[in-house]
Amino acid sequence: MSIRRYLVLTLFAVLTLITFIAAVQGYKVSMTRASTQFDEQLIDVAHTLITIQSLVPQESNKSRVGVKNIDQQGSFAFQLWLKGQLVLKSANAPLQNIVSTHSLSSSDTTIEQTHFSEVNFLGQRWRTLSLTNSIKEQQVIVAQPLQAQFVLAQDIILAAVKPMIIAIALLSVLIFIVITQGLKPLKKLTIELSNRKTNDFTPLQLTAKNSELEHVIATLNQLFSRLDAAFERERHFAADAAHELKTPLSVLKLNAHNVVQEVSEQLAQLNSEAESSKPKAFWLAQVKSFTSIEQLTSSVDRMGHVIDQILNLNRTNPEQMASASTAFNLNKLLQQVISELYAQIKKRKQNISLESDNVELVAHQLSIHLLMVNLISNANKYTPEGGEIKVRTEVTHQHADSEQISIIVEDSGQGIAPSEYHRVFDRFYRIGGDQHNSNVVGCGLGLAIVKHIADVHGALITLSSSETLKGLKVTVTFPVNAPKIIAMKNSAVLSTTKEDHS
Amino acid sequence: MRILLVEDDLPLANALQQSLQQEGFVVNHVNTGELALTALATPDQDLVILDLGLPGIDGIEVLKQIRNNKSQLPVLILTARDSIESKVQGLDYGADDYLAKPFDIQELIARLRVVERRLGTASSSLICIDKVKLDTSAHKVYITENNTDVEVHFSKKEFMVLKALMENAGRIQSREQIESKLYHWGEEVLSNAVEVHIHKLRKSLPNKFIQNVRGVGYIIDNTTA
Repeated sequence: MSIRRYLVLTLFAVLTLITFIAAVQGYKVSMTRASTQFDEQLIDVAHTLITIQSLVPQESNKSRVGVKNIDQQGSFAFQLWLKGQLVLKSANAPLQNIVSTHSLSSSDTTIEQTHFSEVNFLGQRWRTLSLTNSIKEQQVIVAQPLQAQFVLAQDIILAAVKPMIIAIALLSVLIFIVITQGLKPLKKLTIELSNRKTNDFTPLQLTAKNSELEHVIATLNQLFSRLDAAFERERHFAADAAHELKTPLSVLKLNAHNVVQEVSEQLAQLNSEAESSKPKAFWLAQVKSFTSIEQLTSSVDRMGHVIDQILNLNRTNPEQMASASTAFNLNKLLQQVISELYAQIKKRKQNISLESDNVELVAHQLSIHLLMVNLISNANKYTPEGGEIKVRTEVTHQHADSEQISIIVEDSGQGIAPSEYHRVFDRFYRIGGDQHNSNVVGCGLGLAIVKHIADVHGALITLSSSETLKGLKVTVTFPVNAPKIIAMKNSAVLSTTKEDHS
Repeated sequence: MRILLVEDDLPLANALQQSLQQEGFVVNHVNTGELALTALATPDQDLVILDLGLPGIDGIEVLKQIRNNKSQLPVLILTARDSIESKVQGLDYGADDYLAKPFDIQELIARLRVVERRLGTASSSLICIDKVKLDTSAHKVYITENNTDVEVHFSKKEFMVLKALMENAGRIQSREQIESKLYHWGEEVLSNAVEVHIHKLRKSLPNKFIQNVRGVGYIIDNTTA
């Protein structure tokens, strides 16, 4: 729940509740006040009636049977009893005593008795006052409908509550506006932060007028600049390390080459006077086959390979991969990788083939390139001379709307025992440990890099045994949603793959 | 061929100079971008080997200046930055070729030879692989049989396909790469044009001279020669 929503709703709820309680309280008070007011009125009316009656007592006494009906327009009803006889009543009052007779308690010692009660007659509830004078044996009953009281109280309370309800509505709007306004800097900050790319560490361009946010922004900016510096250092480390290590390695390589050249030249010159003088090419081959020279060149190659792989591992960090995803033609990339590795493949007299449609993949191109270099050069290394390597892509439709792209590399090598499958992806792990065939240049990072790149792309690697070539079969499956990929069937490319080896 | 080597690492420059001189190249060495630009003011160079990571004026900057002067001087970039981005950047600014350190000296020499033949500064414009000789200046192809050269006639496009493959011997050329050398922009390309040319070439050339790497492209192997 957003802070704004929380504040507006809570304030609105609290405001409504308090107003409601106040209204209820006001209603109660008004009701009490109203009934007191009405009771006083009843007493006044009763006294007036008694006074009027006492002014004309004889007349009434004589005509005992006659009950005088008095028409009156007000909301009152009244009865005047004298010595148990109804002598005067309002037109709307019944002939019976409104207040039950036993309530006329004679045991009371006081001369004048007032008694309030509520009774039903004429289909209404009435507030009645019975004023009894025990000496004169007079009883005046004045009644007023309770309805009138309620109507009055309601009028009063409505009059009081109406402005309050309008006030609540106005206040709610005001609260909403004030809170929205107050939270605006926070909202700006949120938008600014959520619109940011993961690798954007430039300071926030926000100025906050309130001290709390100013602090937050300052702290965030500090954090950004520190992160930026850290990432920059990391990136530079890779580039610097590459330069620092690769240049001396090139020197080593060149010098190894030059030594071979120089020594063979010297040998050719020294032997030029001998009877069976050999050409320089002979000595070149001789010098190259020296164990120490062979080991020197292979070690230099190995070192270059290790440096490459460590830098590759460094370069393919998830942040970089996620930020630089592009759509590219997978077929072209595979052609390029095979071309790059073809010299090595030819050296081992292996046969390689690619079977792929023009499939478009959305991924970090550099990483996929690296992944394929590692997979194919692994196949090249661990497949015996004259072996076979097959690379192909497969587009499978799982559902109508989702497709999967798989890259499959198979070889005719020894393969890997299923018990080793899970371990080969560990860094620096090599099958057979130190007894690993040392003729093969490697450092145990190849498949770890493959796994790392696949993981970042959410791709699945499956190792199995190749049915057709009997060696290792590596399948890398990329989960792809339909809109992300376009598989173009290109007949021209297919015609290339059908080309015969004439 | 006269080469200007622009490289700030002295041991590397010395070793490279020695290797290239052994191969018969004339090498002048400078160690900064400023000196490189001064040296390039005189038309004494046929080719520049340029290191990208130079102190002062950067290698890319030197390359830009060379191209700004409308010079067609071939430039081969040599660098420790081997990521695809910097490779693309280098080629975008008009570098002719690109080698990442640590490079193979044989590879460097092979690429220098291609430039040399293109410039016509090579002692011979002949590319000889196995029994096949291709004369890049006379546009003629010969096949050596029993120590005598027999000329084989090919059409212009067929010759260009063969030349592309022989110049890049040892490297696979994809169908698209070959097409780009045959046709100009906008020219209509039949989808199997390259296949047809290769088929014709194979009829007259030695068996398995042009090899097909299934799904990738074509290659003429020079390692067995």
